[in-house]
Amino acid sequence: MAVDPIFRTNAAHQVRRHRRGGSAPAPTSDAWGALMAAAQEGHGGAYQRLLTEISGWLLQYFRRRLPAGDVDDAVQETLLAIHRRRHTYDPRLPLNPWLTGIVKRKWIDQLRSMGRRPSEELPADLSIPGHEATITSASVLARLLDELRPAQAQAIPRVKLQGFSVEDASIELGLSPSAVKMSIHRGLARLTSILEKTDDVD
Amino acid sequence: MTSTDALIRNLSADLVAVKRRRMSGEVALLAALGAIELALLLWAGAMRPDIRQVILAPFMLWKIGNLALLAGVASWAAIRSLAPPAVPRRGLRLALALAALAAVGGTMVTPAVDIGRPILERLSPMQGMLCATSIIVLGMPVMATLAVLMRRAAPVRPKQSALACGLAAATSGALIFTVYCPMNDPLYIAVWYSLGVAALALVARLLLPSRFRL
Repeated sequence: MAVDPIFRTNAAHQVRRHRRGGSAPAPTSDAWGALMAAAQEGHGGAYQRLLTEISGWLLQYFRRRLPAGDVDDAVQETLLAIHRRRHTYDPRLPLNPWLTGIVKRKWIDQLRSMGRRPSEELPADLSIPGHEATITSASVLARLLDELRPAQAQAIPRVKLQGFSVEDASIELGLSPSAVKMSIHRGLARLTSILEKTDDVD
Repeated sequence: MTSTDALIRNLSADLVAVKRRRMSGEVALLAALGAIELALLLWAGAMRPDIRQVILAPFMLWKIGNLALLAGVASWAAIRSLAPPAVPRRGLRLALALAALAAVGGTMVTPAVDIGRPILERLSPMQGMLCATSIIVLGMPVMATLAVLMRRAAPVRPKQSALACGLAAATSGALIFTVYCPMNDPLYIAVWYSLGVAALALVARLLLPSRFRL
Protein backbone atom coordinates (compact mmCIF):
# COMPACT_ATOMS: atom_id res chain seq x y z
CA MET A 1 0.00 0.00 0.00
CA ALA A 2 1.42 3.38 -0.99
CA VAL A 3 1.59 5.85 1.87
CA ASP A 4 1.49 9.61 1.51
CA PRO A 5 4.34 11.26 3.44
CA ILE A 6 1.79 13.39 5.30
CA PHE A 7 0.19 10.22 6.65
CA ARG A 8 3.47 8.70 7.93
CA THR A 9 3.41 8.13 11.71
CA ASN A 10 5.79 7.13 14.48
CA ALA A 11 5.63 3.43 13.63
CA ALA A 12 8.04 2.17 16.31
CA HIS A 13 6.06 3.90 19.05
CA GLN A 14 2.78 2.52 17.74
CA VAL A 15 4.14 -1.03 17.47
CA ARG A 16 5.28 -0.86 21.11
CA ARG A 17 1.80 0.30 22.19
CA HIS A 18 0.26 -2.40 20.05
CA ARG A 19 2.39 -5.14 21.63
CA ARG A 20 1.56 -3.95 25.15
CA GLY A 21 -2.12 -4.24 24.27
CA GLY A 22 -1.58 -7.88 23.25
CA SER A 23 -4.03 -7.54 20.36
CA ALA A 24 -4.39 -9.50 17.15
CA PRO A 25 -1.68 -9.25 14.49
CA ALA A 26 -2.03 -6.13 12.37
CA PRO A 27 -3.87 -6.77 9.10
CA THR A 28 -2.09 -3.92 7.38
CA SER A 29 0.03 -0.84 7.86
CA ASP A 30 -0.64 1.70 10.60
CA ALA A 31 -0.87 4.34 7.88
CA TRP A 32 -4.58 3.61 8.12
CA GLY A 33 -4.49 5.25 11.54
CA ALA A 34 -3.25 8.48 10.02
CA LEU A 35 -5.98 8.33 7.37
CA MET A 36 -8.61 7.81 10.07
CA ALA A 37 -7.22 10.70 12.11
CA ALA A 38 -7.56 12.91 9.02
CA ALA A 39 -11.09 11.59 8.47
CA GLN A 40 -12.02 12.48 12.05
CA GLU A 41 -11.10 16.05 11.18
CA GLY A 42 -13.43 15.97 8.16
CA HIS A 43 -10.97 15.05 5.37
CA GLY A 44 -13.30 13.29 2.92
CA GLY A 45 -10.55 12.25 0.49
CA ALA A 46 -8.56 10.49 3.20
CA TYR A 47 -11.73 8.80 4.41
CA GLN A 48 -12.71 7.54 0.95
CA ARG A 49 -9.23 6.15 0.45
CA LEU A 50 -9.27 4.52 3.89
CA LEU A 51 -12.69 2.90 3.42
CA THR A 52 -11.76 1.68 -0.07
CA GLU A 53 -8.59 0.01 1.25
CA ILE A 54 -10.40 -1.39 4.28
CA SER A 55 -13.24 -2.78 2.14
CA GLY A 56 -10.72 -4.85 0.14
CA TRP A 57 -9.32 -6.29 3.33
CA LEU A 58 -12.82 -6.89 4.73
CA LEU A 59 -13.81 -8.79 1.60
CA GLN A 60 -10.92 -11.22 2.14
CA TYR A 61 -11.61 -11.44 5.88
CA PHE A 62 -15.29 -12.30 5.53
CA ARG A 63 -14.79 -14.64 2.56
CA ARG A 64 -12.85 -16.89 4.95
CA ARG A 65 -15.47 -16.65 7.65
CA LEU A 66 -18.94 -16.47 6.12
CA PRO A 67 -21.01 -18.11 3.36
CA ALA A 68 -20.55 -16.37 0.00
CA GLY A 69 -24.06 -14.89 0.09
CA ASP A 70 -23.40 -13.06 3.37
CA VAL A 71 -20.01 -11.52 2.54
CA ASP A 72 -21.13 -8.28 0.83
CA ASP A 73 -23.69 -7.63 3.54
CA ALA A 74 -21.04 -8.13 6.24
CA VAL A 75 -18.59 -5.79 4.47
CA GLN A 76 -21.18 -3.02 4.18
CA GLU A 77 -22.44 -3.47 7.75
CA THR A 78 -18.86 -3.21 8.99
CA LEU A 79 -18.17 -0.05 6.95
CA LEU A 80 -21.30 1.51 8.45
CA ALA A 81 -20.18 0.54 11.97
CA ILE A 82 -16.74 2.06 11.33
CA HIS A 83 -18.47 5.23 10.12
CA ARG A 84 -20.84 5.45 13.12
CA ARG A 85 -18.10 4.75 15.68
CA ARG A 86 -15.17 6.60 14.09
CA HIS A 87 -15.10 9.16 16.92
CA THR A 88 -14.04 6.38 19.36
CA TYR A 89 -10.71 5.80 17.60
CA ASP A 90 -7.79 7.29 19.51
CA PRO A 91 -5.22 8.55 16.93
CA ARG A 92 -2.39 8.07 19.43
CA LEU A 93 -2.85 4.31 18.96
CA PRO A 94 -2.59 2.15 15.82
CA LEU A 95 -5.87 1.68 14.00
CA ASN A 96 -5.55 -2.07 13.52
CA PRO A 97 -6.53 -3.27 17.02
CA TRP A 98 -9.51 -0.88 16.99
CA LEU A 99 -10.52 -2.06 13.54
CA THR A 100 -10.12 -5.79 14.23
CA GLY A 101 -12.26 -5.42 17.38
CA ILE A 102 -15.10 -3.91 15.36
CA VAL A 103 -14.73 -6.36 12.49
CA LYS A 104 -14.82 -9.38 14.79
CA ARG A 105 -17.95 -8.01 16.47
CA LYS A 106 -19.64 -7.68 13.08
CA TRP A 107 -18.63 -11.25 12.23
CA ILE A 108 -20.31 -12.45 15.43
CA ASP A 109 -23.41 -10.35 14.65
CA GLN A 110 -23.54 -11.85 11.16
CA LEU A 111 -23.31 -15.41 12.53
CA ARG A 112 -26.11 -14.56 14.96
CA SER A 113 -28.32 -13.27 12.16
CA MET A 114 -27.58 -16.49 10.21
CA GLY A 115 -28.88 -18.45 13.20
CA ARG A 116 -32.06 -16.39 13.39
CA ARG A 117 -32.75 -16.49 9.67
CA PRO A 118 -35.15 -19.26 8.61
CA SER A 119 -33.24 -21.86 6.60
CA GLU A 120 -35.93 -21.93 3.92
CA GLU A 121 -35.29 -18.26 3.13
CA LEU A 122 -31.66 -18.54 2.13
CA PRO A 123 -30.45 -16.09 -0.49
CA ALA A 124 -30.75 -17.46 -4.02
CA ASP A 125 -27.01 -17.10 -4.67
CA LEU A 126 -26.03 -19.12 -1.62
CA SER A 127 -26.17 -22.49 -3.35
CA ILE A 128 -22.98 -22.84 -5.30
CA PRO A 129 -22.41 -25.90 -7.51
CA GLY A 130 -18.93 -26.68 -6.15
CA HIS A 131 -19.58 -27.52 -2.52
CA GLU A 132 -15.92 -28.03 -1.78
CA ALA A 133 -15.03 -24.56 -3.04
CA THR A 134 -17.68 -23.00 -0.84
CA ILE A 135 -16.35 -24.66 2.29
CA THR A 136 -12.79 -23.68 1.39
CA SER A 137 -13.85 -20.06 0.96
CA ALA A 138 -15.30 -20.05 4.50
CA SER A 139 -12.28 -21.95 5.82
CA VAL A 140 -12.07 -20.28 9.23
CA LEU A 141 -15.74 -20.94 9.89
CA ALA A 142 -15.36 -24.56 8.73
CA ARG A 143 -12.42 -25.03 11.13
CA LEU A 144 -14.44 -23.64 14.03
CA LEU A 145 -17.10 -26.30 13.45
CA ASP A 146 -14.72 -28.83 15.07
CA GLU A 147 -15.65 -27.19 18.39
CA LEU A 148 -19.29 -28.24 17.99
CA ARG A 149 -21.20 -31.44 18.58
CA PRO A 150 -21.20 -33.82 15.58
CA ALA A 151 -24.84 -33.15 14.59
CA GLN A 152 -24.28 -29.38 14.74
CA ALA A 153 -20.96 -29.59 12.88
CA GLN A 154 -22.64 -31.60 10.10
CA ALA A 155 -25.87 -29.61 9.81
CA ILE A 156 -24.38 -26.08 9.67
CA PRO A 157 -22.08 -26.56 6.64
CA ARG A 158 -24.72 -28.44 4.67
CA VAL A 159 -27.52 -25.91 5.15
CA LYS A 160 -25.64 -22.66 5.70
CA LEU A 161 -22.57 -23.12 3.48
CA GLN A 162 -23.49 -25.66 0.81
CA GLY A 163 -27.10 -24.54 0.25
CA PHE A 164 -28.87 -27.81 1.11
CA SER A 165 -32.52 -27.49 2.11
CA VAL A 166 -33.35 -28.56 5.66
CA GLU A 167 -35.27 -31.56 4.25
CA ASP A 168 -32.33 -32.72 2.09
CA ALA A 169 -29.91 -32.28 5.00
CA SER A 170 -32.23 -34.20 7.32
CA ILE A 171 -32.36 -37.16 4.88
CA GLU A 172 -28.59 -37.18 4.47
CA LEU A 173 -27.88 -36.88 8.19
CA GLY A 174 -30.66 -39.24 9.27
CA LEU A 175 -32.24 -36.63 11.53
CA SER A 176 -35.68 -35.08 11.58
CA PRO A 177 -36.03 -31.61 9.96
CA SER A 178 -36.72 -30.03 13.35
CA ALA A 179 -33.59 -31.67 14.78
CA VAL A 180 -31.55 -30.20 11.90
CA LYS A 181 -33.01 -26.74 12.53
CA MET A 182 -32.31 -27.06 16.27
CA SER A 183 -28.73 -28.23 15.59
CA ILE A 184 -28.11 -25.21 13.36
CA HIS A 185 -29.61 -22.77 15.84
CA ARG A 186 -27.73 -24.18 18.84
CA GLY A 187 -24.52 -24.68 16.87
CA LEU A 188 -24.41 -21.06 15.68
CA ALA A 189 -25.22 -19.83 19.19
CA ARG A 190 -22.33 -21.93 20.53
CA LEU A 191 -20.01 -20.60 17.79
CA THR A 192 -20.77 -16.99 18.68
CA SER A 193 -20.24 -17.79 22.34
CA ILE A 194 -16.82 -19.33 21.55
CA LEU A 195 -15.87 -16.32 19.42
CA GLU A 196 -16.83 -13.86 22.15
CA LYS A 197 -14.48 -15.61 24.57
CA THR A 198 -11.49 -15.81 22.24
CA ASP A 199 -9.27 -12.84 21.49
CA ASP A 200 -8.66 -13.66 17.85
CA VAL A 201 -9.28 -16.38 15.29
CA ASP A 202 -7.03 -16.66 12.24
CA MET B 1 -19.60 0.68 -9.51
CA THR B 2 -20.55 -1.90 -6.86
CA SER B 3 -22.98 -1.17 -4.04
CA THR B 4 -20.00 -1.12 -1.63
CA ASP B 5 -18.26 1.53 -3.75
CA ALA B 6 -21.46 3.59 -3.76
CA LEU B 7 -21.71 3.24 0.01
CA ILE B 8 -18.11 4.42 0.46
CA ARG B 9 -18.74 7.39 -1.82
CA ASN B 10 -21.86 8.32 0.17
CA LEU B 11 -20.11 8.02 3.51
CA SER B 12 -17.14 10.11 2.33
CA ALA B 13 -19.20 12.86 0.69
CA ASP B 14 -19.77 15.91 2.89
CA LEU B 15 -17.85 14.28 5.72
CA VAL B 16 -17.92 16.41 8.85
CA ALA B 17 -15.35 16.54 11.62
CA VAL B 18 -16.24 14.49 14.71
CA LYS B 19 -15.53 15.23 18.35
CA ARG B 20 -13.19 12.50 19.52
CA ARG B 21 -14.17 10.44 22.52
CA ARG B 22 -12.16 11.43 25.61
CA MET B 23 -11.94 8.86 28.40
CA SER B 24 -10.65 11.47 30.86
CA GLY B 25 -13.81 13.52 30.25
CA GLU B 26 -15.98 10.46 30.94
CA VAL B 27 -14.09 9.71 34.17
CA ALA B 28 -14.56 13.34 35.23
CA LEU B 29 -18.29 13.12 34.42
CA LEU B 30 -18.73 10.05 36.64
CA ALA B 31 -16.71 11.64 39.46
CA ALA B 32 -18.82 14.81 39.24
CA LEU B 33 -22.03 12.77 39.31
CA GLY B 34 -20.85 10.89 42.40
CA ALA B 35 -19.89 14.18 44.07
CA ILE B 36 -23.33 15.67 43.33
CA GLU B 37 -25.07 12.61 44.79
CA LEU B 38 -22.91 12.79 47.90
CA ALA B 39 -23.57 16.52 48.27
CA LEU B 40 -27.34 15.95 47.97
CA LEU B 41 -27.18 13.23 50.62
CA LEU B 42 -25.27 15.51 52.98
CA TRP B 43 -27.56 18.44 52.20
CA ALA B 44 -30.56 16.26 53.10
CA GLY B 45 -28.93 15.60 56.50
CA ALA B 46 -28.53 11.89 55.88
CA MET B 47 -24.96 11.61 57.23
CA ARG B 48 -24.61 9.19 60.16
CA PRO B 49 -24.45 11.27 63.35
CA ASP B 50 -21.29 9.64 64.77
CA ILE B 51 -19.22 10.00 61.57
CA ARG B 52 -16.55 12.12 63.32
CA GLN B 53 -15.99 9.48 65.98
CA VAL B 54 -15.82 6.48 63.63
CA ILE B 55 -14.21 7.92 60.50
CA LEU B 56 -10.72 6.73 61.51
CA ALA B 57 -11.82 3.42 63.03
CA PRO B 58 -10.31 0.34 61.26
CA PHE B 59 -13.72 -0.99 60.14
CA MET B 60 -14.61 2.40 58.61
CA LEU B 61 -11.28 2.73 56.82
CA TRP B 62 -11.72 -0.84 55.58
CA LYS B 63 -15.23 -0.10 54.31
CA ILE B 64 -14.52 3.25 52.61
CA GLY B 65 -11.05 2.27 51.35
CA ASN B 66 -12.13 -0.97 49.73
CA LEU B 67 -15.27 0.49 48.19
CA ALA B 68 -13.31 3.45 46.80
CA LEU B 69 -10.76 1.04 45.31
CA LEU B 70 -13.47 -1.19 43.85
CA ALA B 71 -15.43 1.75 42.43
CA GLY B 72 -12.26 3.16 40.86
CA VAL B 73 -11.17 -0.14 39.30
CA ALA B 74 -14.67 -1.02 38.05
CA SER B 75 -15.27 2.46 36.62
CA TRP B 76 -11.94 2.48 34.82
CA ALA B 77 -12.56 -1.03 33.45
CA ALA B 78 -16.05 -0.03 32.29
CA ILE B 79 -14.98 3.18 30.56
CA ARG B 80 -11.91 1.58 28.97
CA SER B 81 -14.01 -1.27 27.61
CA LEU B 82 -16.30 1.05 25.64
CA ALA B 83 -14.01 1.06 22.59
CA PRO B 84 -11.61 -1.54 21.15
CA PRO B 85 -9.02 -2.89 21.66
CA ALA B 86 -9.60 -2.85 25.44
CA VAL B 87 -11.66 -5.73 26.80
CA PRO B 88 -13.43 -5.63 30.17
CA ARG B 89 -12.50 -9.17 31.24
CA ARG B 90 -9.22 -8.25 32.98
CA GLY B 91 -10.79 -5.35 34.86
CA LEU B 92 -13.70 -7.52 35.96
CA ARG B 93 -11.34 -10.22 37.21
CA LEU B 94 -9.28 -7.65 39.10
CA ALA B 95 -12.42 -6.20 40.72
CA LEU B 96 -13.58 -9.67 41.80
CA ALA B 97 -10.14 -10.49 43.22
CA LEU B 98 -10.12 -7.18 45.14
CA ALA B 99 -13.61 -7.92 46.49
CA ALA B 100 -12.46 -11.35 47.71
CA LEU B 101 -9.40 -9.80 49.37
CA ALA B 102 -11.60 -7.14 50.98
CA ALA B 103 -13.89 -9.85 52.40
CA VAL B 104 -10.88 -11.63 53.93
CA GLY B 105 -9.57 -8.32 55.27
CA GLY B 106 -12.94 -7.69 56.89
CA THR B 107 -12.36 -10.53 59.36
CA MET B 108 -9.40 -8.58 60.79
CA VAL B 109 -11.30 -5.37 61.48
CA THR B 110 -14.49 -6.76 63.03
CA PRO B 111 -15.33 -4.63 66.12
CA ALA B 112 -14.91 -6.63 69.36
CA VAL B 113 -18.53 -5.95 70.29
CA ASP B 114 -19.78 -7.84 67.20
CA ILE B 115 -17.61 -10.95 67.42
CA GLY B 116 -19.68 -12.93 69.95
CA ARG B 117 -23.15 -11.99 68.65
CA PRO B 118 -25.42 -14.53 66.88
CA ILE B 119 -25.10 -14.49 63.09
CA LEU B 120 -28.76 -13.57 62.45
CA GLU B 121 -28.49 -10.63 64.83
CA ARG B 122 -25.26 -9.49 63.16
CA LEU B 123 -26.87 -9.72 59.70
CA SER B 124 -29.99 -7.77 60.76
CA PRO B 125 -31.98 -8.74 57.62
CA MET B 126 -34.54 -5.90 57.74
CA GLN B 127 -31.85 -3.22 57.92
CA GLY B 128 -29.81 -5.18 55.39
CA MET B 129 -32.58 -5.16 52.78
CA LEU B 130 -32.85 -1.39 53.24
CA CYS B 131 -29.09 -1.01 52.72
CA ALA B 132 -29.08 -3.19 49.58
CA THR B 133 -32.02 -1.24 48.15
CA SER B 134 -30.36 2.11 48.93
CA ILE B 135 -27.19 1.00 47.13
CA ILE B 136 -29.23 0.08 44.05
CA VAL B 137 -31.05 3.46 44.07
CA LEU B 138 -27.84 5.44 44.61
CA GLY B 139 -26.10 3.52 41.81
CA MET B 140 -28.81 4.18 39.24
CA PRO B 141 -27.71 7.68 38.10
CA VAL B 142 -24.19 6.39 37.41
CA MET B 143 -25.62 3.35 35.62
CA ALA B 144 -27.84 5.57 33.44
CA THR B 145 -24.85 7.77 32.58
CA LEU B 146 -22.72 4.74 31.70
CA ALA B 147 -25.58 3.38 29.58
CA VAL B 148 -25.59 6.60 27.54
CA LEU B 149 -21.80 6.53 27.21
CA MET B 150 -21.97 2.89 26.11
CA ARG B 151 -24.56 3.65 23.40
CA ARG B 152 -22.37 6.43 22.02
CA ALA B 153 -19.15 4.42 22.09
CA ALA B 154 -18.05 1.13 20.50
CA PRO B 155 -18.06 -1.71 23.04
CA VAL B 156 -17.13 -4.81 21.06
CA ARG B 157 -18.05 -7.08 23.99
CA PRO B 158 -21.28 -5.39 25.05
CA LYS B 159 -22.32 -8.01 27.61
CA GLN B 160 -19.04 -7.80 29.51
CA SER B 161 -19.02 -4.01 29.20
CA ALA B 162 -22.56 -3.90 30.58
CA LEU B 163 -21.50 -6.01 33.56
CA ALA B 164 -18.51 -3.73 34.18
CA CYS B 165 -20.82 -0.67 33.95
CA GLY B 166 -23.21 -2.24 36.45
CA LEU B 167 -20.38 -3.07 38.84
CA ALA B 168 -18.99 0.46 38.54
CA ALA B 169 -22.39 2.01 39.19
CA ALA B 170 -23.18 -0.25 42.13
CA THR B 171 -19.81 0.16 43.88
CA SER B 172 -20.07 3.94 43.39
CA GLY B 173 -23.54 3.83 44.96
CA ALA B 174 -22.21 1.72 47.85
CA LEU B 175 -19.33 4.15 48.40
CA ILE B 176 -21.72 7.11 48.62
CA PHE B 177 -23.99 5.12 50.92
CA THR B 178 -21.20 4.68 53.51
CA VAL B 179 -21.76 8.24 54.79
CA TYR B 180 -25.30 7.24 55.83
CA CYS B 181 -24.99 3.55 56.74
CA PRO B 182 -24.86 3.17 60.54
CA MET B 183 -23.65 -0.46 60.44
CA ASN B 184 -20.05 -1.25 61.35
CA ASP B 185 -19.91 -5.04 61.25
CA PRO B 186 -17.82 -6.23 58.23
CA LEU B 187 -19.95 -9.41 58.00
CA TYR B 188 -23.06 -7.28 57.53
CA ILE B 189 -21.26 -5.06 55.01
CA ALA B 190 -19.89 -8.04 53.04
CA VAL B 191 -23.31 -9.74 52.80
CA TRP B 192 -25.73 -6.87 52.16
CA TYR B 193 -23.45 -4.59 50.18
CA SER B 194 -22.52 -7.56 47.98
CA LEU B 195 -26.19 -8.31 47.45
CA GLY B 196 -26.97 -4.72 46.41
CA VAL B 197 -23.93 -4.55 44.13
CA ALA B 198 -24.68 -7.93 42.53
CA ALA B 199 -28.33 -7.00 41.95
CA LEU B 200 -27.50 -3.75 40.15
CA ALA B 201 -24.71 -5.42 38.14
CA LEU B 202 -27.20 -8.09 37.05
CA VAL B 203 -29.75 -5.46 36.01
CA ALA B 204 -27.08 -3.67 33.95
CA ARG B 205 -25.93 -6.94 32.38
CA LEU B 206 -29.50 -7.70 31.30
CA LEU B 207 -30.64 -4.21 30.23
CA LEU B 208 -27.66 -2.40 28.76
CA PRO B 209 -26.77 -4.73 25.84
CA SER B 210 -30.37 -5.08 24.67
CA ARG B 211 -30.84 -3.86 21.09
CA PHE B 212 -27.28 -2.53 21.09
CA ARG B 213 -25.70 -2.58 17.65
CA LEU B 214 -22.32 -1.27 16.64
